Amino acid sequence: MRIFLPLAGGEPNPRGSVLPLGRERRSDDNAGVRTVLIVDDHDGFRHRARRLLEAEGWEVLGEACDASEALRAAAELKPEVVLLDVHLPDVSGLYLAQALSGDAAVVLTSSRDASDFADRLSGSGACGFVPKAELSSDALDALLP
Amino acid sequence: MDATETTEQAVARTLAEAADLRSAYPRVLRLMAEGLGWAFAAAWEPGPDGAPPLRCVASWWEDPTYDPFEGVTCSLALAAGEGLPGRVWETGQPDWIVDVTRDLNFPRARVAKTVGLRTALCFPARSVRGVVAVVELFDTAPREPDVELLRTLTGLGDQMGLAIERRRAEEAAHIGERRNRAMLAAALDAVIAIDHRGRILDFNPAAERTFGYEAGAVIGEDMADLIVPPSLRERHRAGLARFLATGDGPVLDRRVELTGMRADGSEFPLELTITRIDLPGPPTFTGYVRDITERKHQEAELRASRARMVQAADEARRRLERDLHDGAQQRLVGLALDLRLARSRMDSAPDEAARLLEEATDELAAATRELRELARGIHPAVLTEGGLEPALRTLVTRAALPTVLTVAAAVRHAPPIEVTAYFTVAEALTNVARYAEATEVEVELSYDNGSLIVEVRDDGRGGADAAGGTGLRGLADRVAALDGRLDIHSPPGEGTVVRAEIPCAS
Repeated sequence: MRIFLPLAGGEPNPRGSVLPLGRERRSDDNAGVRTVLIVDDHDGFRHRARRLLEAEGWEVLGEACDASEALRAAAELKPEVVLLDVHLPDVSGLYLAQALSGDAAVVLTSSRDASDFADRLSGSGACGFVPKAELSSDALDALLP
Repeated sequence: MDATETTEQAVARTLAEAADLRSAYPRVLRLMAEGLGWAFAAAWEPGPDGAPPLRCVASWWEDPTYDPFEGVTCSLALAAGEGLPGRVWETGQPDWIVDVTRDLNFPRARVAKTVGLRTALCFPARSVRGVVAVVELFDTAPREPDVELLRTLTGLGDQMGLAIERRRAEEAAHIGERRNRAMLAAALDAVIAIDHRGRILDFNPAAERTFGYEAGAVIGEDMADLIVPPSLRERHRAGLARFLATGDGPVLDRRVELTGMRADGSEFPLELTITRIDLPGPPTFTGYVRDITERKHQEAELRASRARMVQAADEARRRLERDLHDGAQQRLVGLALDLRLARSRMDSAPDEAARLLEEATDELAAATRELRELARGIHPAVLTEGGLEPALRTLVTRAALPTVLTVAAAVRHAPPIEVTAYFTVAEALTNVARYAEATEVEVELSYDNGSLIVEVRDDGRGGADAAGGTGLRGLADRVAALDGRLDIHSPPGEGTVVRAEIPCAS
């Protein structure tokens, strides 16, 4: 089954605020334990995201609190997924997503809503956006290619 | 040539040559009296407004016998129709009295009888405005009316009228000129007159002050060379040339803003009105110039302060968004994740779920606290409800350093005044805590001359830069927007005094 959801516009989003970013995904390609790198400058969020995703069967390979650390960790740990905060202290997550998206599936996250970023998410190379408060294994799965 | 003709010519010549009839009167009266054989002569004129009473302005006699008559003559003020001069004034016609001592309308009859004067004649001096003076002649012997003589004297009277009129016009012109001079000298605006070649004709004291030149040094000089900046000179000259050639003067008779140049070469903004002086001959122009440096400066400062206030408001909103995002919002995000995890653990690991709910409760309390702080920072509720005094008391209680609050009177003011006063204190206390290294702080609210005075004094290291911090600059703008002023006195090593003076008289 192939699902395509447009990013912008008045189309109702069937999964609430969780937003795939114009990529097609294959629903039959999610077997086994998935690995993730969490990139966010808030300790509290990294801690909780790790706890939640691990409880739901993910393997958290590492955490990074800024872009340079994220690039290093991604190259070293080779995660399948990078959960990436849009607001980082050094570089915008939107730019970092482009650099990372060649080797991993990037899911952007923020405590803000997708509509706060207008159409800038779609050009970032990320495969989806999930609001921080709605983070869950299911939400990530729904966005991955 | 008889005596009458000789006298007529002599008087006419005297009048024509006279620069000032007042000084010519005695000579004219003497020429008439002597030439025609009369013993006493007097001239009468009305007051400065040209209306009676008439008073004697000049007289002539040789024989001291007539001294008393002259004395009485000089003391009289005659209404129209009163006495001989009054009658001639009223009718505009010459008159002749054979014996004044028997005349019923001759107030000086008694003294005339005493000194022996009998016959009198009187004729008007007329101009286009009517009778302007009357002249009377007296003699001792009774003389019958001489129509020819009266006709001649009436002709002379008309010449005298012209002379008097000329003198009045000159006096009026002289007074007008003096008044104009005084107005130019007193004017606060620089007034400069130029001729059609651009040469300076007039340069008043305000122009001297404005441009730094002495009038004596610039009269006759080319104005453009002196007060028009080099970059604008060609335009000025082209404008003058175009007006002379076509009569088209777009800068005439309206206010324009230009740049002027002082004697030291410095340039300044000015407001100028040029008018053409409507006189025969080549045109001349008057320029009225006002130095608007101060006004421009104030306008620029006003614009800058408006821009700063807009920026400050924008910055405050950005900061608020950031504070919400970094604070309460993060906590609520964490709370959502904790709750979701707790729910998924409820059955499989109830102890862990309970611990997660505990964490979530703490997180919620923290978020609530942060939101409360934030709301207070935006606008403390106690300020709206209780006014400045309780709001400052709360603020002082929470201050990082021992702080003493003195309030002269707990009075309510308009919200903008209370808010500005409150944030002046709040910002000053924040600065004290951050930079001053002080041990104690005093906050005082008092009133002086219709203004609310807010002072925050600390005993710290001083040396605060009033222009440095955006916080203080923003406060200064706020205070200025209420027509008040913010002063910061902060000598190094002697503590800092932040003082806001906010007009609050209703």
